[in-house]
Amino acid sequence: MIGTITEFIGHFHPVLVHLPIGILLLASLLFFLSAKEKYQSLRPAVGISLLSGACSAILSCISGYFLSTTDDYDQQLVSLHQWLGIATAFISVLAYLFFKQQKNWFKWIMILLTLMIIVTGHLGGSLTHGSDYLTASLRSSENKSELTKSIADVQEAVLYADIVQPILQSKCYNCHGPNKQKGKLRLDQQEFILKGGKSGETVLAGKTDESEMIKRILLPKEDDDHMPPVEKAQLSKNDIELIHWWVASGADFNKKIKELPQTEKIKPVLLALQSGQTTEEIKISAIPLKPVEKASDSVLLKLKAAGIMIVPVAQNSNYLSANFITTENIHTHIELLLSIAPQLIWLKLGNTNISDSSLAILAKLPNIIRLYLENTTISDAGLQSVKKLSQLQYLNLTRTKVTVNGILQIKELKNLQELYFYKSGVTSADYTSLKNLFPKTKIDTGGYKLEMIASDTLLVKPPLGK
Amino acid sequence: MKDHSKIINESLEEKNRFFTRRHFLKEASFGFGGLALANLLGGCNFNDTTTSNNILFDPANPLLPRSPMFAGKAKSVIYLHMAGAPSQLELFDYKPELMKMDGQDCPQSLLEGKKFAFIRGVPKMLGPQANFQQRGESGAWISDYLPHLATIADEISFLKAVTTDQFNHAPAQLLMHTGSPRLGRPSMGSWVTYGLGTENQNLPGYVVLTSGGRNPDSGKSVWGSGFLPSVYQGVQCRSEGDPVLFLNDPDGINRDLRKASINTINEINQQQYKEFKDPEILSRIAQYEMAYKMQISVPGVMNIADEPQYIHDMYGTKPGKESFANNVLLARKLVEKGVRFVQLFDWGWDAHGTDANLAIDIGHINKCRSVDKAMTALILDLKQRGLLDDVLVVWGGEFGRTPMQENRAGKAVPFKGRDHHTEAFTIWMAGGGIKKGGSYGETDEIGYSSISGKTNAFDIQATILNQLGFNHEKFTYQFQGRPFRLTDVSGRVITEILA
Repeated sequence: MIGTITEFIGHFHPVLVHLPIGILLLASLLFFLSAKEKYQSLRPAVGISLLSGACSAILSCISGYFLSTTDDYDQQLVSLHQWLGIATAFISVLAYLFFKQQKNWFKWIMILLTLMIIVTGHLGGSLTHGSDYLTASLRSSENKSELTKSIADVQEAVLYADIVQPILQSKCYNCHGPNKQKGKLRLDQQEFILKGGKSGETVLAGKTDESEMIKRILLPKEDDDHMPPVEKAQLSKNDIELIHWWVASGADFNKKIKELPQTEKIKPVLLALQSGQTTEEIKISAIPLKPVEKASDSVLLKLKAAGIMIVPVAQNSNYLSANFITTENIHTHIELLLSIAPQLIWLKLGNTNISDSSLAILAKLPNIIRLYLENTTISDAGLQSVKKLSQLQYLNLTRTKVTVNGILQIKELKNLQELYFYKSGVTSADYTSLKNLFPKTKIDTGGYKLEMIASDTLLVKPPLGK
Repeated sequence: MKDHSKIINESLEEKNRFFTRRHFLKEASFGFGGLALANLLGGCNFNDTTTSNNILFDPANPLLPRSPMFAGKAKSVIYLHMAGAPSQLELFDYKPELMKMDGQDCPQSLLEGKKFAFIRGVPKMLGPQANFQQRGESGAWISDYLPHLATIADEISFLKAVTTDQFNHAPAQLLMHTGSPRLGRPSMGSWVTYGLGTENQNLPGYVVLTSGGRNPDSGKSVWGSGFLPSVYQGVQCRSEGDPVLFLNDPDGINRDLRKASINTINEINQQQYKEFKDPEILSRIAQYEMAYKMQISVPGVMNIADEPQYIHDMYGTKPGKESFANNVLLARKLVEKGVRFVQLFDWGWDAHGTDANLAIDIGHINKCRSVDKAMTALILDLKQRGLLDDVLVVWGGEFGRTPMQENRAGKAVPFKGRDHHTEAFTIWMAGGGIKKGGSYGETDEIGYSSISGKTNAFDIQATILNQLGFNHEKFTYQFQGRPFRLTDVSGRVITEILA
């Protein structure tokens, strides 16, 4: 019980310390101001400020002592802070006692007191926020560029040193580092990580379910045991994936990424690191990571004037999507796409009167990822130019005249993920042969039916008499 | 020329004379603060896409397509709202424990401090009236009230612990669609068309279709544009008779004459605009143009009679009458043509048990039968057309229904019925980058309250915006001196159901 009460009092320390800092600094300010004739009237306030400052300094010392016994701070730093704090309190009491005597050397006591407060306060701040807290924001921009630079080639990077450690450093070291070891856990060196903390094994190679670190970062945010604590900077989704993968793959401290088995789940994350992007948006978008120049405004205006709906796929992207749904004279205007060939990635030509011959232009639009040709008169001949689209992931050929023979032409397209053939010349009978051509592609020939159920048109009636 | 440089030099020298020691000290102190201030003010830069949205719509062409903040999965939304609130306890939230309590008095603990729309005193518990089965590989519980939907359980993600704080229809519907239970906020469809515009300039970007014989209780405000420019409000189309009222040319006026008169009106409006520079005038001109184009485009796209018979068989549609099924088929046609947001309301789900049509075991079954086949067909049809990833389908009501039998004003109602319930109900989503066969959230063993994975209207709105490529916290509109959001001050993207 005693232990918990002292701990309770100790937790007031971070609040209480602000009182002596503020009051004693004010006392010092008042003292030096009152030396001027203009502010002489302030002089009586110095004494009372020193008294209240001294009292609060003593209280801070007491609460601080309790805190130092309960929390897991760096002992050396704590003891320095502790003794400087006690000295500051002592000097403030002295200052109060000698103030009335109006000695000439008194101003040196006030200067000393001011310096002591600044130094002690800074040490206290270093204890809670980490020793590099004050200047971290000034250095952060350099650090970031360093980080991305060092993983210019992800496959060559050392998983722990180049990727996991920087994450731990930015998100964990504050409380589990050289200055503080909450839960008796320290994460800044290999031996400490392997030693673990109060709650057991922090990292168990290959066993993510039993590693305390993984368990805690995966807990819902609302859980008290979730790490990092909810009020601190959180790990991003990618961070979590990377740490998880590091533990799952054996928590090795020296292996390079290329030496480790890469799961399907981690590949896009590694790709994101490679490109210097740390966003989670990658997962839900199909935009190339390679940057591209912005299409010129005059070209875009020309396309818009032709009635082609053309917009960047996202506000921060130069890649473009084009839709011809309301374009008249599609055959003459489709040529305009050549001027945006590097940028164009999504092309919608569905529900238009596009013809096989106009499609020849596709061969010169190498970056297309999604191509919509549904409900058109396109046939096998039109697919000739499609085979040049090495980046193509999505191809919609529903309600066209395309047949299996036409599809044979595009069998080299290894990036294809989705193929749609509903009401085209390709039928469900062709499914197996297509699946052989495109083993990894989702192929849908449609024709879903919903059988009529007797109850569909039956009305439930209330029982008679009601 | 010489004179010029002389004058310039002179002024530069004059300036240099102000650079005193005092100046240095002042600059050094204020300048440092200024650096910090510039940092702070940087956050107010509305052109910076990292801190705020950057939607610059052209008032002369307010519906032109625009880019989302990031490349979203979904390109359009079909929102199926069952107005009146279906019973989650008969459809998706299987509670065998509740069956055991059937007919018993409701425990006091469930009533203390609670308010219900109609229940007074101590009601009896009402067990589930439907038979449940686990469906598909995901094992989702779907009752025999929805036999067709049960076959595609693996295409859907369920939110089973949705909550609201409104127990009356109109405010709850407004909250679900505008983010506020009171009138005056823009609806979700308005926000989306404001953010993304629409890809087909011959059609409205935001279409509303209603069935069930009545508009939703919240009236037209639920698809209103609020403080957004009026051009972004939902356009209500009818599936029976003229799709859009007053769109046809009056007798004796042909299309050329109509064009000539619109041109004249627009010219006058242009003059007006030159004088007053009010952007709403440009919107007005655009709306006249749109109406003229819609005269041609709308009858074609709104006509479901030209769909092949196998499609009618699939949806269970019968052209020429107003029905949910017809509206669903229309919704599919509209998104195919590039319409951004299609909002359906189907009225008649308010199963209080006050008459046979509103009985859980009679009228409610009939309501389910009237939507089951069509909404299932919609998912399958979008899938076979390769559009399911592009179109986000959302299904739900404005709140749930109580595990208690309704006792209106303390007296028994003639049929089995349930009162409005705010603490737990089910909404499902499909397509548009939503996980297939997912489920999130749990209710207690009698389905009274949500015990984990709670979500609410704001979370659903945040998720819909996220799938379209918007960060709901940064997607704002400046009004009355402050930026407004659809999700107001809350909302969390429900990442648990994202693919």
